[in-house]
Amino acid sequence: MDFDWTEDDVAYRNDIKAFLAEQLPPGWNGYDKSNLEKYKTDSIAFAKAMAARGWLTQNWPKEYGGQEASPWRAAILSEELWPIGEPRGPQYMNVNWIGPAIMAAGTEEQKLYHLRRISAGDVCWCQGFSEPDAGSDLPAMRTHAVRDGDDYVVNGSKIWTSHVGTADFCFLLVKTDPTAAKRAGISILLTPMDTPGLEVRHIDGFVGEQAFHQLVFTDMRVPAAYRLGEENRGWDIVRRALSFERVGAAHYETGQLILNRTIVEARRNGMFEDPEIQTRIGEVYAALEAARMLTYKVVDLRAHGSPPTADSNLSRVAQTSALRLAGELAHVVFGEEGLEAGSGGDVRRVLAFSVASGTTEMQLDQIASNFLALPTKV
Amino acid sequence: MDLTPNDIQRQALDAVDRILERNGDWQHNKKLVDQTAYDQGLHDELAGAGFFELAVTDGAGPLDAALVVERLAESAAVLAAAATALVFPMVTGEVASGPVALANGLGNPFRMGQFAKTVLILDGDTAKRLDVQAGDVADVNNDRTGWPLARLSPAALQRAASLGPGSGDKLRNWWRVGLAVETAGAMKGALNTTVGYVKDRVQFGRPIGSFQAIQHRLAQLAVNAEAAYWLGLEAAYRGAPAQAAAAAAAYVSANAPVMLRECQQMHGAIGFTREYPLHLWTMRLPALQRELGGMTRHARDVAKSLAAALEPQGARPMATQL
Repeated sequence: MDFDWTEDDVAYRNDIKAFLAEQLPPGWNGYDKSNLEKYKTDSIAFAKAMAARGWLTQNWPKEYGGQEASPWRAAILSEELWPIGEPRGPQYMNVNWIGPAIMAAGTEEQKLYHLRRISAGDVCWCQGFSEPDAGSDLPAMRTHAVRDGDDYVVNGSKIWTSHVGTADFCFLLVKTDPTAAKRAGISILLTPMDTPGLEVRHIDGFVGEQAFHQLVFTDMRVPAAYRLGEENRGWDIVRRALSFERVGAAHYETGQLILNRTIVEARRNGMFEDPEIQTRIGEVYAALEAARMLTYKVVDLRAHGSPPTADSNLSRVAQTSALRLAGELAHVVFGEEGLEAGSGGDVRRVLAFSVASGTTEMQLDQIASNFLALPTKV
Repeated sequence: MDLTPNDIQRQALDAVDRILERNGDWQHNKKLVDQTAYDQGLHDELAGAGFFELAVTDGAGPLDAALVVERLAESAAVLAAAATALVFPMVTGEVASGPVALANGLGNPFRMGQFAKTVLILDGDTAKRLDVQAGDVADVNNDRTGWPLARLSPAALQRAASLGPGSGDKLRNWWRVGLAVETAGAMKGALNTTVGYVKDRVQFGRPIGSFQAIQHRLAQLAVNAEAAYWLGLEAAYRGAPAQAAAAAAAYVSANAPVMLRECQQMHGAIGFTREYPLHLWTMRLPALQRELGGMTRHARDVAKSLAAALEPQGARPMATQL
């Protein structure tokens, strides 16, 4: 057990910082997602520059063009990219779990077609998971695909889908056996977004531009060759993919950035003199550090080749609550002046964070069953 | 970065577990607590096996000592574990010759003082060392906090030897790390006992641990206990830097009261009895939570340290986009 970064790790972090300084304008703070075309062009340009350095898919196996880099490298990358606004745009999903899912279950043809694009950095995906009547209870999904010759005919709807405006493909979950038990009978279709019969509806929300969409499928024909893995066996692939998704983002670093700016503002406006504010600053910092350590535990397990465990749920819960504390404190410190758009103290995104990627309640369920081995809940 | 125990650490923990197993079950600890006694037998056995030297032994260090302290606290051993195995050797560079206690000034009651051979005293900015003589330390009636408490005599403080300039910070930092590790262990012990209880306790025809109202709260406690464990170990490994030590202490003292009230609540009435072991861990938490000024003092020190490292700006800082 040791808590030191290796010399290589330190050098890698410095390389990333230098790369970011070279690629992004000073003070860059995330994309303007109201201009979708520019968002897509710029994020693809950034991902391609990463690919050119061999960094985009460095954690992939050599067989698929990766370098089998240590999971700690992915963690360092995440710590550097998330707090400034994730310049890879939606492509973090590709490298963290869509690519690995295709490696694990794809046909040779699918691997050849998709993995090359993902590792080149010029393709964007979205994930078709939630439905109007299947959110936390994802296996209750009803979007169904019926085999007709060489195609599936898909009808139904997906909702709350992020990154639709930039997506070229959708990692789409469908029910292929409506009579099967809940978790059985689910298949994955790697669906091009320009497939006829796929309609995109934008949903107006208040947590960032382009956050929500509904996808509506009306007799959409998807070739059976686009199915990932065996028919009706998609759930296992998804479960594994989701366990990778949860550790993808170093949100505690975003929290540290919020906290630093909050301290600077508190000193500027005099609130730092309030002992209660100081106490809250210390508490937030400790909670963010706690989230960092629990996230490192997940990275360490992966570095030791352990299969996914409930540690990723512990990390997620710790990150969610720490980020919420940071956002709430910023709200207090930035005060009335902070009500002006873009001037700080924005708690809206913090609220959404405990819903995205599985609600906190679902994470706690997983911890209860898989970490504490509590009896099956009633 | 490697968070998996190495072979030496695994062997050390296995050896501690074997000693603890031989030493007796929770009834043994309860008897000592009831009599306001110290587990001198266990202390001597651990000392003989070299566990109180780990922190300053070549090839080992404060992390290894912290791992052992956590395990002892998790077992509710009736020992001055953190002070003897971690704080004293790291502050003085020596191996303790008997139980060590830590006192915060003259006025505050402190844990295990009546059994200590040596007391390290935080006296303002200075650390002082007291080799205890008769009359230096008096028992304090502590209303069963789970720790024997004592108080120093003014003459003892007079006689104590200063450890030099800057020694106060060093003692405070290591004390905070020891406190974090010891509290993390007590939190884990309380949680383990509670998880075991809710699996067995049947009401309404099913184990109460099958109710989601219980499960989610226990899951949150598991997050807190795990985080406490790692923050303490990391701060020990890094040599107790002021900010990390204060953050670890702030985290455990913020979360100890949550663990206390939740574990007691989930046990119902049995948890308040002395025939049941829960109190061996939970009743220790309030004293730990208040040590060195408690959460507000730790957290404010973190805030001051963070603020000192940030450049002041004339203009309002930019908002952070999430």
